[in-house]
Amino acid sequence: MYQNRHIFIATMLLFLMASCIQRFDPEIKSTDAVKYVITGQVNSGDDVQRINIGTSSPISKPEIIPVTGCSVKIIDSKGNEYPATDVWNGNYDVTIPKSELVPGNAFKVEILVPGGTHIVSDFDQIQSGPPVDSVYYEVQSLPTASPVEFTDGIQFYVDLNAGNYSCRNYRYDVVETYEYHTKYPIEWWYNGLLRHTLPPDSSKMVCWRTSTLRDVYMISTKELAENSYKKYALNFVDNQSSARLVYGYSLLVRQFTMSDEAFKYWEKIRINSQEQGGLYESQPMSIKGNLHNITNPDQDVLGFFSATTVSQKRIFVKDVPDLPIEFVFNCVIGSLPWGGLRGTDPIKYPIYLPQRSIWIDDQWVSTYDLLTIDHECVDCTSTVGGTTVKPDYWPN
Amino acid sequence: MKRLLTGILFLLFTVSSIAQQSQKLASFHVKGMSFAQFSTLVQKETSVQVFFQEKWVKKLQVEVSLDNVNAKTAVEQALLGSGLEVSDWHGNLVVLPAEKLLAALPPYDFEDKKGRPDTTSKVLTASEERYLTGRNADVLQILKIGRKGGHLSGTKAKITGRIMDEESGEAIFSATIYVTEIKAGAASDMDGFLSLSLKPGVYNATFQYMGYQSKKYQIEVFSDGEFTVNLKKSVIQMKEIVVYGDPQMNIRAKDPGLDKMSIKAIRELPMLMGERDILKVSTTLPGIVSVGEGSAGLNVRGGGSDQNAFYLNKIPIYNTSHLFGFFPAFNADIIKDFSIYKGFIPAQYGGHLSSVLDIVSRQGNRKHFMARGGINPVTGNLVVEGPIKKDTLSYMLSARASYSDWILSKINDPVISNSNAAFNDVSGGLNYDIRKTQVSLFGYHSYDRFSLSDLNEYEYSNNGVSATVGHTFGKSIRGEFSVIGSQYAFSTIDKQDVNKAYSHDYKIEHYEIRADFNHAISDRNTLEYGIGTVLYKLDRGTVDPYGDNSLRQEVDLGKEKALESSLYISDSYDVLPWLNLTVGGRFTMFTPMGPKTVYEYAPDLPKEPRNITDTLYFDENKAIKRYNEPDIRVSMNFKTDDAGSIKLAFNQMHQNLFMLSTTTAIAPNTQWKLADYHLAPSKSNQYSAGVFRTLAKFGIETSAELFYKQTTNYPEFKDGANFLNTPNVETSVLQGDQRAYGIELYVKRSLRKLEGWISYTYSRSLIKVDGEHPWDQINNGKEYPANYDIPHSLNVVLSYHPNRRLTLASIFTYQTGKPVTYPVSVYYYNSVPVLDYSSRNAYRIPDYIRTDFSVTIEGNLKKQKFMHSSFIFSVYNAFGRDNPYSVYYKVEDGFIRSYKYSVIGVPVFTATWLFKLGNYVSE
Repeated sequence: MYQNRHIFIATMLLFLMASCIQRFDPEIKSTDAVKYVITGQVNSGDDVQRINIGTSSPISKPEIIPVTGCSVKIIDSKGNEYPATDVWNGNYDVTIPKSELVPGNAFKVEILVPGGTHIVSDFDQIQSGPPVDSVYYEVQSLPTASPVEFTDGIQFYVDLNAGNYSCRNYRYDVVETYEYHTKYPIEWWYNGLLRHTLPPDSSKMVCWRTSTLRDVYMISTKELAENSYKKYALNFVDNQSSARLVYGYSLLVRQFTMSDEAFKYWEKIRINSQEQGGLYESQPMSIKGNLHNITNPDQDVLGFFSATTVSQKRIFVKDVPDLPIEFVFNCVIGSLPWGGLRGTDPIKYPIYLPQRSIWIDDQWVSTYDLLTIDHECVDCTSTVGGTTVKPDYWPN
Repeated sequence: MKRLLTGILFLLFTVSSIAQQSQKLASFHVKGMSFAQFSTLVQKETSVQVFFQEKWVKKLQVEVSLDNVNAKTAVEQALLGSGLEVSDWHGNLVVLPAEKLLAALPPYDFEDKKGRPDTTSKVLTASEERYLTGRNADVLQILKIGRKGGHLSGTKAKITGRIMDEESGEAIFSATIYVTEIKAGAASDMDGFLSLSLKPGVYNATFQYMGYQSKKYQIEVFSDGEFTVNLKKSVIQMKEIVVYGDPQMNIRAKDPGLDKMSIKAIRELPMLMGERDILKVSTTLPGIVSVGEGSAGLNVRGGGSDQNAFYLNKIPIYNTSHLFGFFPAFNADIIKDFSIYKGFIPAQYGGHLSSVLDIVSRQGNRKHFMARGGINPVTGNLVVEGPIKKDTLSYMLSARASYSDWILSKINDPVISNSNAAFNDVSGGLNYDIRKTQVSLFGYHSYDRFSLSDLNEYEYSNNGVSATVGHTFGKSIRGEFSVIGSQYAFSTIDKQDVNKAYSHDYKIEHYEIRADFNHAISDRNTLEYGIGTVLYKLDRGTVDPYGDNSLRQEVDLGKEKALESSLYISDSYDVLPWLNLTVGGRFTMFTPMGPKTVYEYAPDLPKEPRNITDTLYFDENKAIKRYNEPDIRVSMNFKTDDAGSIKLAFNQMHQNLFMLSTTTAIAPNTQWKLADYHLAPSKSNQYSAGVFRTLAKFGIETSAELFYKQTTNYPEFKDGANFLNTPNVETSVLQGDQRAYGIELYVKRSLRKLEGWISYTYSRSLIKVDGEHPWDQINNGKEYPANYDIPHSLNVVLSYHPNRRLTLASIFTYQTGKPVTYPVSVYYYNSVPVLDYSSRNAYRIPDYIRTDFSVTIEGNLKKQKFMHSSFIFSVYNAFGRDNPYSVYYKVEDGFIRSYKYSVIGVPVFTATWLFKLGNYVSE
């Protein structure tokens, strides 16, 4: 009887689990032209405003393609013009007096691309917004694909309290910074010659890595009765897949006010990127911002130029109660490549070798055997974005 | 009895001449007398004995007033209209149902010599007839209609017939009579009635209906009169039988683009989880596609899924599926007849641009109690029916319910085990049928509940009632009067985001009253006309904050009311023996009514709240706007020869009710919305042409049809439209043009060991929204493919009957992938990658290919048994192909990854058990 029941459930599972999601790469026509991308904003918090000009890149090879040599100026609703200077890599900087960067004033950008293409944005008006209310986290267990396993970690939230302000749309940029360590100092290494540093070099054992999160976080209170929002979920950081929560984690939340046009633009981006892949998916859409190609009106210009009030808050996290760290730094110990050290391609230099005896699998292993260790085991700057310079806001 | 008949027959040939001898005349003036009493009276007065069976005449009340007539005339008069016939036998009289004993061999009709071989032969061989029904005499039956001398010379007699199922006593809809001599015929209506005009004389007539044995009669027309013909369900044909297709059905049917499906064929086909889904099967016909598994809608000839009208015994059904479209919302066992009109839509229908899907339910067995039902892994169902008063009043009750709920809780997945789903549907009908009047009542209810963990809750239900009275006025006018009520409601609770959690209830009500008439003016001319009014009441509901932590603002989406009144007239005229012309007109007045607040917007600015210039208030029942909607329907049917025809049609339609949906599939919280002050009704013109041929020798029917359809005021939704934020739909909808065209090829083989059909469709459906201003455009005003634009669609449906207890069936489906908007390039906004999408629907997901198999095993073929069982084993998607339902992109850790989502990517095996009382052929 028991077995019969299992067969029956298995049959049912077959049906219920029938839906599946798989990787799939469709072919994209190369004729879908590369388009100009203008991003940038003027905001009340910064002295120097930055506009970035580039082109889009194919899906298969995503990259930032800057366009340099453009003539760029920002114009406000009072008729003031502020020319920008080409600084580097498609970035154009402009200084606007703080007295003009006030709620109510509106700005637009005019660009002349070297080929002669003329791009203009609509005016975008600065809205008044409150300071970031509070940023906090909660310990949570998230279900995983396996029904018996859960991922523990912390979920960050932000509250919005804009009761006295007119702006109803907010966007958040979230920047995370965390400290991480290598397992060993640098002692033996090879770059054509076998090197030995004594005492071992531990200058690359502690690093910090900063990156902007790639999700779109926005709140619009237009459908809500009050201009406030409680517990808007930001990112989730787990305790096992990375070193984020081991030595200290810092989150910077930057809150930008948005005009209705800017909100519509970001909302479409959010819908395109998040609400897909189910039975009742809505149609993704091509998104038009507030930029126009005057020379060739049929060609869309991507991106958005906005004017905003910015406010920010930073939170530092270490030693979360009730959340044991389950991260294990997996320092990969490998045997020597075929051909020995001398036979290794110089592109892979330096090759790091372990200390005389190392701790592997709960025991000390003598390394008279010739082994190599990964860069991550001794050089924290080998991780992309890692730096040994301690951020000034980092607690001691 | 039948043996007796055979005996009588043989005797008759020898003794017929003596029959007319005793002609003693007498007078009879009786009223309300039973036939038994009357026969005694006849014997007393004329010494002629009348033989009959008690049960045939039980209900009969004799009312005659006759002077100086012989016994036979008296009995004839007494039996008039009862379907009973009287014959002489050895100087006495014998009463038989609908049969005359032959006094002489009938004059055989040899006119059709050059036509089909031996069209007068029986469809079933004698041996098979015996096998099925026991011994039966080879009687060429004669139908006598009217009274001798009862007609005015030179005029035609109007004869009204009724076609019934021999076993269940139910009327057969769409059965045909074909009269060889005049090369014309007629089709029966929903109550089985048909009428035609014939000059008095002797004719050869064939009665046919799909899935039934054809019957040939010699009809003798004297004057206006009535008759009843009972047809018998056909069973699997044997090799030696000569089948000449269904010529009347296809070649003579006057409506191009009309498809019909037999329920038996559907039962044997492989179906997902064993649910016999007539709508899914219809997608194997040419011109009909569905965008994928779990998608409730059908797309007919490039039309949207809200462009189909769906009726169940005249009740419009606003949500036709259970469990989000995986299963049909009604029990397949109650379906008697299913028609799909997609080319020429008769003038009696209106209101939806693409098609009319019309289901007529069983009316209940009028002879005896009957039960049938089945069990598959998801549902159980039962239908009971029978007479309350034999041959007069019958009932039918059906119930179906899912029992899948407990299974979900057994599954080791937190989301699924905390989810639950259930659905059920019930329906009931009552039919009263006395000679010229039929009364039927039908009620329907369906219910669905689904809660996905603690994220979402959905609940929806359909309710409907229809009452119809049909009556035949005089000899040639049949009228039907109906009162219909239908309601669809759903409620949703969305708890995914505590701050934005909401609940929403929605309801649409439909109240209709209508009268339809069918008037046979002559044998070549039939007039149909009618009038009707629909009152729509929509309560689009309020989006309320749900839970203590929801900060959502309450949005009242408002109520709507409208009156849709229409009248129509349509004439079908056989201009020439080979040319039929049907011309119809329908006029609808659509009036949205108050109470309502309507906003006016600044003329050259987007329709957005900030551009409101004026507010108009309309009081209760005050007309907000009047839309006059004339429709013209024309069809021409040229009969090229006995086996072929060419049909041309022009069809105009209007639509006043739309579905607000931004998703490709119909979500369970999709709202219906009426045309209003801003949103104008859509209008379409369709031109179609078709060539139809039968290859009688091979039992094959073929057709090729072309269509072109142009729609104006097609509502399309702006990017990012959300119908829960505002009651003012005009701020999220634009109206544009739609154009669809295609060619449909179809080959069907029926009533053979190997039967089935192959259909191929090439069609396109393109939309253009190019308003004057950029904000009134979609896709920059350029034409783009509709979400359901499927150019190529090929379906092969085969079933093979190696013997009578075994059927092997398969369905093969190929479809071009549906259109999709893909990201074509990527850019970075503050190092956040952002995807840039192609123009709307510029790409397609991979093609859809699926193969299903099934094996049907019938229980034994014993004639005397209590219950007959069938087992159906089916595999859906036998090769486990992952047909993508959608392809989408996700940004994960800075990488852009594309995924495909398949609803059913594995083979699904199902066993289904079906049963019915009685034997293999019982009905």
